Amino acid sequence: MDLLEVEKVSKVFNQNGVPMPVLKEISFRVQEGEFIALVGPSGSGKSTLLRILNGLIPPTEGRVLYRGKALHSVNLDSAMVFQSFALFPWLTVLGNVELGLEARGFPIEARRKKAIQFIEKVGLDGFEEAYPRELSGGMKQRVGIARALAVEPKLLCMDEPFSALDPLTSLALREEVLMLWEDKSMPVNTIIMVTHIIEEAVFMADRVLVLSTHPGTLVADIPINVARPRDRKDPVLNEYSDRIFSLMA
Amino acid sequence: MFKDAKRRAVFGVTLLLLAGLAYAISRQLHFPTGKIELDTALSQLPYYAAYSLMRMLTAYFLSLLFSIFYGYIAATVPKAEGPMIAVLDVLQSVPILGFFPVAVFFFVNLFRGSQFGVEVASIVLIFTSMSWNMAFSTYESFKAIPNDLVEAADGLGVRGWLKFKKALFPICIPRLIYNSMMSWAGGWYFLIACEIIAIGSIRYHLPGLGSFLIESVESGEVWRTFYGLFVLILMIVLLDLFVWRPLSVWGEKFKYEFTTTATVPSTSFALQWYRRLRVARRWGRIKEIIGKPARALNPRRYFLPAGERLAQETRERVWIPLRRGLGYLLVGGIFLLIGWSFFLLIEGLAKPLPPEAGRIPGALLASFLRLGIAYLLALAWTVPVAFWVGENPRAFRIVTPIAEIGASIPATALFPFFILLAVHVLGGMNAAAVLLILTGMQWYLLFNLIGGVQNIPGDLKEAAKALGVSKWLYWRRLYLPAVFPALVTGSITAWGGGWNALIVSEYVVYRRETYAVNGIGAMLDRATYEAGDKQMMLLALITMVIAITLLNRFFWRKLYLYAVERYKIDY
Ligand SMILES: Nc1ncnc2c1ncn2[C@@H]1O[C@H](COP(=O)(O)OP(=O)(O)O)[C@@H](O)[C@H]1O
Ligand SMILES: [Mg+2]
Repeated sequence: MDLLEVEKVSKVFNQNGVPMPVLKEISFRVQEGEFIALVGPSGSGKSTLLRILNGLIPPTEGRVLYRGKALHSVNLDSAMVFQSFALFPWLTVLGNVELGLEARGFPIEARRKKAIQFIEKVGLDGFEEAYPRELSGGMKQRVGIARALAVEPKLLCMDEPFSALDPLTSLALREEVLMLWEDKSMPVNTIIMVTHIIEEAVFMADRVLVLSTHPGTLVADIPINVARPRDRKDPVLNEYSDRIFSLMA
Repeated sequence: MFKDAKRRAVFGVTLLLLAGLAYAISRQLHFPTGKIELDTALSQLPYYAAYSLMRMLTAYFLSLLFSIFYGYIAATVPKAEGPMIAVLDVLQSVPILGFFPVAVFFFVNLFRGSQFGVEVASIVLIFTSMSWNMAFSTYESFKAIPNDLVEAADGLGVRGWLKFKKALFPICIPRLIYNSMMSWAGGWYFLIACEIIAIGSIRYHLPGLGSFLIESVESGEVWRTFYGLFVLILMIVLLDLFVWRPLSVWGEKFKYEFTTTATVPSTSFALQWYRRLRVARRWGRIKEIIGKPARALNPRRYFLPAGERLAQETRERVWIPLRRGLGYLLVGGIFLLIGWSFFLLIEGLAKPLPPEAGRIPGALLASFLRLGIAYLLALAWTVPVAFWVGENPRAFRIVTPIAEIGASIPATALFPFFILLAVHVLGGMNAAAVLLILTGMQWYLLFNLIGGVQNIPGDLKEAAKALGVSKWLYWRRLYLPAVFPALVTGSITAWGGGWNALIVSEYVVYRRETYAVNGIGAMLDRATYEAGDKQMMLLALITMVIAITLLNRFFWRKLYLYAVERYKIDY
């Protein structure tokens, strides 16, 4: 069975009383263990689609099935990583990472232990008591990732997770995300990542879904058949990038 | 456009509602006669201070609960937002003290003439003086929560109380603390006013610092009055140092990057003490001990995850319809209330006007002139002082602490002295009334002006000086235009304070002798305390509310928009 089935999902927003179609009849499937990248020009509805996949907002038409069951509210088996990090500034790193566990009713000792384990996993040992504002952008996003992973989701949704970071930091963090994804001790094995950087999508993903704009429709679904670990400068990857770029232009 | 019209309609209806309600609840007046005794021995002073503080604290915690609740509902229920904010708008522009007599009689009647009624009335009044700006601040903060944060919480499955506590409420904290400080300072003014009115005009015992002040003056023991004043100031300053300052510094950590708050002190020695004493950790441990048995009772602990699902189902099945039902009930109740007050209003106004009603325009004009004179007096000293402070930093260091202490004394606490002055020195109330109003206006102006002067960019000043402009030109071309927006903001708050001050300064009871001037405030007081004339009371109240509303809408708001547009220094 597919992990996720997206069936003719459309979304219409109301802007000052005028209906504005953002997504139109989008269908695709995601298998367990896949790394999917979602690319498209800005405003094509990538973030909207990701939120629908996660159950944060309902589609206007169509439906999303998770393990064969239609999604009606937030999918607690998945977690989200945001471009803006979306860390709670009044909670420490530990407090942020613990929050999802607290919501799941873990007793304090258990959730603390687990949170610290994931903070170490993203390389932030020693920063448990720091507040987000004391951290650099890269460290903030590590907290965002630790917070998402701590609830041990099957599916990880990331909305332009590296766009707010400087180039070097984002390169390093990409590699780390790939390592976490390949790490068999982590329950998370399926990732859907939104990005507008085509090279990033091609380098990281098994499949790249391309959205067009106004309204967003799925124009291509391109498997990247390149063995891992990949080399950023691999000319085959460049060919993929060029192809996707011409699809979007 | 339509939205605007709707807002205006709600505004009007709320006004009517208030006026009608005021009339409705003042229909049966009884007030005790005869002198009540209040022990003015110095040994009683701590008790009085404690009484006053308790009243303040009760009102404050009520306001806190109210403002969080009100702000949250207004920010999260789309249908409720418009009306709720319009209602808040009206409540904010109403002279609260005008409703005190009404409140007193309502609660005294409700509690069958017992002391408790006055107590409740005073707390209600202080509550109304504290709540509106706090509710606005929570509303605006809740509205400003970034969508990503809400989605982050939802995505993690954070719901209900946990979501409110950890994800939503903290964003309110910095502005809520700042507004709490404002409200607390304003609260003293109304607290003392209540205590003085209660003992002077309606002869109820409301033990507290305010009644102590007036009683000690009446019994001719002025030095005791000074003691009372000293205790009051001491209490205010200590609370500021040990509660508000540490709180506002601590609150900084809740600031979200894009929210801006007014300036707060950035250090507090008291907060450092608390940190050293590990107050938070100790409190955490106490909570842990108390919370353990409570957590053992939590059903979720035992029914994971089936209990979780059950809880969610209950929430969907029961809570959502229940909430909708409550909403309808509330709306129905409000409409009933509106209808009822309309009925009472029409009944009250349908009677032929009493002969005194003809004197209302004159009284209103007299009051307006008094406010105008007080305002000019306030301007006459605050503008130069603010200029002086802005031009040399040494003056800033001298003036600021003095002004802070001066402003922290609630002007009403000085009333006993002004009464002495009026009765024994000035030989009449008119000058004293103007002085009393002045004390209620001047600080708002001073602080806003100093803020405005400090915001003039240094390079502008230097540029003007380098051009060799004369002092007069410097004032006219730089200083006045630059502080104009701050002047307008300060004036709006000052006039708001002034209208309130009217009610306590135009009509004063001293040694069972009434000293009053011709004015709308005095008219309202006389109608309630002397004649028990509901119709006149209603007329005076409505006149005042209408005058204030018109002035705000057609003068201050226009001036404010003009000032912002024309004189904003913005690169
Ligand atoms: N809550 C919303 N209400 C109205 N319009 C929205 C909302 N969220 C997104 N949109 C609109 O939908 C379009 C797609 O937005 P988004 O999904 O953020 O695009 P992308 O992430 O691809 O840049 C944009 O034009 C945006 O203005
Ligand atoms: Mg986006």
